[in-house]
Amino acid sequence: MRRTLVPSALALILVAGLATRAAAYEAMAVTDGGTLSGTVKFQGTAPPPAKLEVTKDPEVCGKEKTSPDLVVGSDGALANVVVTVKAQKGKKLEPPAQNPTFDQKTCEYKPHVLAFPAGSTVDVLNSDGILHNIHTFGTANPPSNQAQPKFKPKIQVKVEKPETIQVKCDVHGWMSAWWVSTDQPYVAVTDASGAFKITDLPPGDYEVELWQEKLGKKTEKVSIKPKEDTKVAWSMTKS
Amino acid sequence: MARRTTPIDDEKRSYGAVWLVTSLLLFVGALWCIADDNLFRRPWKKFQAEFNRLEIQHLKDAIAAEQQRLDADPAYQQAVKTLADARVSASSGEIARQIADLQRELRRAQQQDQSKDLNLRFVKSELEELRFKYDDALHAGRPTEELLKEIEARGQLRAERQQVYTESQQHIEALQNEITQLESAVKTAEDEIAKLTTARDDVQQKLEGVSLGYLPGPKATAPYFGFDWQPKIPRIQQIVLEEFDRNNFDKPVARVDRCMSCHAGINKPGFEDQPNPWKTHPHRELLLTKHPPEKFGCTPCHGGQAPAVNSPETAHGNFVDEHGHLENVEFIERPLLRGEKTTAQCIKCHAGVQNLETADEIGRGERLFEQLGCHGCHLTEGYEDLAKSGGVTSIAPSLRRIGAKVDHGWLIRWITNPHQFRPRTRMPNFMFEEEQAVQIAAFLLSDTKQPSEEWLAAHPAPAAAAGTELAAKGKALVESIGCRGCHAITEDEVAGQLGANKDIAPNLAKVAEKTDARWIYHWLKNPRGYSPVARMPSLRLSDDEARAITAYLVTLGTKRPAPDALETRLTDVANAAAGEKLVRKYGCAGCHDVPGMENESRIGVELSAFGSKTREELFFGDRTDVPETWDDWTYNKLLTPRTYATKWIEQVMPQFDLAEEDIKALRAFLSSRTDSKVPVKYLYRPPGEDRVVAGRRLVARYNCTGCHVVEGRGGDIRRLYQEQPTFAPPMLNGEGEKVQADWLFNFVKAPVPIRPWLQLRMPTFGLADEEANTVVGYFEALDRVQVPFVHLERAALATENVEAGKLLTSKDYFDCFSCHQRGAVKPQGPPEGWAPDLALAHARLGPEWIIKWLRDPQKVMPGTKMPSFFPGGPPDVLGGDDEAQIRALRDYILSLGMPEPSPQQAAHVVTGGPGTSQ
Ligand SMILES: [Cu+2]
Repeated sequence: MRRTLVPSALALILVAGLATRAAAYEAMAVTDGGTLSGTVKFQGTAPPPAKLEVTKDPEVCGKEKTSPDLVVGSDGALANVVVTVKAQKGKKLEPPAQNPTFDQKTCEYKPHVLAFPAGSTVDVLNSDGILHNIHTFGTANPPSNQAQPKFKPKIQVKVEKPETIQVKCDVHGWMSAWWVSTDQPYVAVTDASGAFKITDLPPGDYEVELWQEKLGKKTEKVSIKPKEDTKVAWSMTKS
Repeated sequence: MARRTTPIDDEKRSYGAVWLVTSLLLFVGALWCIADDNLFRRPWKKFQAEFNRLEIQHLKDAIAAEQQRLDADPAYQQAVKTLADARVSASSGEIARQIADLQRELRRAQQQDQSKDLNLRFVKSELEELRFKYDDALHAGRPTEELLKEIEARGQLRAERQQVYTESQQHIEALQNEITQLESAVKTAEDEIAKLTTARDDVQQKLEGVSLGYLPGPKATAPYFGFDWQPKIPRIQQIVLEEFDRNNFDKPVARVDRCMSCHAGINKPGFEDQPNPWKTHPHRELLLTKHPPEKFGCTPCHGGQAPAVNSPETAHGNFVDEHGHLENVEFIERPLLRGEKTTAQCIKCHAGVQNLETADEIGRGERLFEQLGCHGCHLTEGYEDLAKSGGVTSIAPSLRRIGAKVDHGWLIRWITNPHQFRPRTRMPNFMFEEEQAVQIAAFLLSDTKQPSEEWLAAHPAPAAAAGTELAAKGKALVESIGCRGCHAITEDEVAGQLGANKDIAPNLAKVAEKTDARWIYHWLKNPRGYSPVARMPSLRLSDDEARAITAYLVTLGTKRPAPDALETRLTDVANAAAGEKLVRKYGCAGCHDVPGMENESRIGVELSAFGSKTREELFFGDRTDVPETWDDWTYNKLLTPRTYATKWIEQVMPQFDLAEEDIKALRAFLSSRTDSKVPVKYLYRPPGEDRVVAGRRLVARYNCTGCHVVEGRGGDIRRLYQEQPTFAPPMLNGEGEKVQADWLFNFVKAPVPIRPWLQLRMPTFGLADEEANTVVGYFEALDRVQVPFVHLERAALATENVEAGKLLTSKDYFDCFSCHQRGAVKPQGPPEGWAPDLALAHARLGPEWIIKWLRDPQKVMPGTKMPSFFPGGPPDVLGGDDEAQIRALRDYILSLGMPEPSPQQAAHVVTGGPGTSQ
């Protein structure tokens, strides 16, 4: 009896410690959760996509690229927006069953914005078969800079703390991406059609933060009802 | 006058009353003596007894906490249970019976063994006797056959008995083993518990050590039930520092420190939260580990009356009164040093204090003292030679050609109050009247007329050094080539900082008010061409670049009107004569190179023993409000230097406008200037310390830390590269280990670009050979490099290593040349994406450093673009051995750019190669 009590008490302390550190997000069972889904669009006329000059390894990287820092699709659909519901409590932040993957293909990062729970290990793939390096510029997490030569199709990088981290390649100066390590589960990144979906939200009123690397931050408000899909159509623009 | 006539018989007179009173007095006196000696004058006993109680309580608490942890530990619970079970089964049941049987059997066997042993010995003795008889018979010529037979028979018997005895021994051993085996469960369980309770048992042992033992005591509560740990009886704790002091005859005498009689917990962890005198020393781990009190005592750092134990006030020599003000006790020679004055003492043993942990004030104070130029006016032992460079006064800019440089109106305003123009300038304010300023300017301009005119004649105004477009180009250059490592270009910017509120190099926000395009252009091109003691380096600017920067700088600020009739007044001979007197009186030549005043002596008082001054030696003038202590005098002197002037006594020290913390740091430094010297054996003089001190001074003089991080400090320009730290200048931590000494020497003498991606330029400082050597010696000493030079030759590099290294750098493996330049072979893409030329490595880098670098570049230079390739080298090269691959890469890199060996060289390899790293 006593032997089982002690480890569970320890676990409780550990969980409590983690919870206080992670801005007091409280895990609980969510039974009648609602869904938030919708799209984010670019308001106004989208600027033409910036051209990136490929200065190296053109046989693998291609001749010319457009910058992924502001991708506006048809109808103004805005990709790569990080949508964060500022929930104080809700479903448990589970580490993903499979490691999030982050590929380097034709000298571009796929995806350009990768969100995952803090504590995850990112599987970094190299589909190009040339030298890249994964240089992370975190502050809460120690910065790391690992080479990924041809003979290493996969390396792993663990991200312990919640933080938005820029990832760059020093071999190919134009390569840049963002890792969003989160301390709660209600985070999504918009796809190419600007769409996102966040499920199992406990009913209530929330502030939602939109973040896009070029457009900055924007706050929206939303009301989630039990077992209902709340549809939103938000927009962002240059400030 | 009537004489007493009746003689008194002394024999008859009774002295009983006198005797009684006297002996009573004596008795009371003796009682008082004992009481005074043991109680009233021994306050330390009370303090120490209290600490002993505290410590016992502390250890008891620690044991209780540890026991609580153990009780909650499932492993411990299990071990306790296992032991109990083992004991039970060893004392009852089947095993107990078996043990008892075996022990019975063992006793019997041991008894029999004794008689077997005896039998064996008997036969051995008999055999010896027979051999003797045989020898005897042989020499006496008697028959020996019988004896020989007998010897043989006995020999056989001995062998038999030996066999019996050996078997008996084996039997006993087997029995013992069997018993141990059966009892082993208990032993194992006991050992297991002992392993888990090590921490508790250690504390327990400590507790036994600090107490008289576990004796009947007043605390009859559980768990002690009438017994408790009894504190030891307080004793004087003293430390004898042999030959630390000198007596009045200048003979070495010991110093006796008794501070720890009261401060009993000073070197014991766990009392950090206690008040004094029981408190643990702050930073105990760092400070007391390096300075164990048994060796260094307390008073060398803290001052105070070392052997005094009568009262805290007399031992300390001062106390903090109820208003929080420090009061001195009268007639005490060595009052306790408090606050920053304690850390100021570090400098008495440590030659280099500018980077000592926990001693910030003294380091800061020394830096300020050196760089504000206090030693220009005040002779100070150890800092005598700092004011001059190559024999020329060089604390402040040379005034030798001032006539060619400055706007006359500006010069008057500057002399009147430099802080008005540049609040953060190092130049102090002499608070001259405008008339005096004109006189000084008149003297300086006439005194420097000839050299100024000569310089102007040789340096014509640059053609077309103006225009918006050119200025924009100049601005871009100023912002990219490194000017801002030292210079701020807006009024509120801070570049190289000295103390809290001073700049190392001038703020350029209003430079055009001060000087003109002609001077700026030539100064930029070649600072030493204007002033041989210029600290400003050359950035190897082309004429176009210098013109562009000039065009930009002349847009910063505008000329302002000069006072009326200034030019007439400046050429007035009487004014120049008056100005010369002023320049001498106020000691301008202490900091500036003034023609004709090269050999002026320092005008300030000597500060070598300033810290030893008593308050009687300090003149407080009319300041009746300043408490009469050294601290208060010095603080107010630095705050308002002329504050002690009176109607009759003039003071000339200028106003520095120092920040509070800088005043305190300088005061700390001054408090360390005393006439007492620490004996040599207490000094800290690690090898290379002198080179470090000299190097730091040079680094400060040329403000290397404006761009580079050196010893973890500086890198001011990094403020502009926060987004892109890879474009900031390299950090020089570990530089001595990194580069070869001869390369560094040549590089600082004549820098060449080695990082093609940097727009910043390493300037050419025009260092003298001596200075360049100081730089090399400094970095070598910092990294404790024992062998600064390496000899590398191509033939000494193992071919298989070079080949494997070459393979590893190829596209299929690490693809090093994707970024690294290799001589003439340049990487693809723009230069900002390139990495250093590996063909230079053999001449530049330390072979051992390359190994370290390849193992973990981020550890050597945090933030570097160079990614880590190890651990995780390819499995198909050199058997996948990371270390072997690192060595191979190193050897290959070293081979690049090295000439191929001639056949003769290959046959006569003179070195063993760069060695194999651990
Ligand atoms: Cu890349």
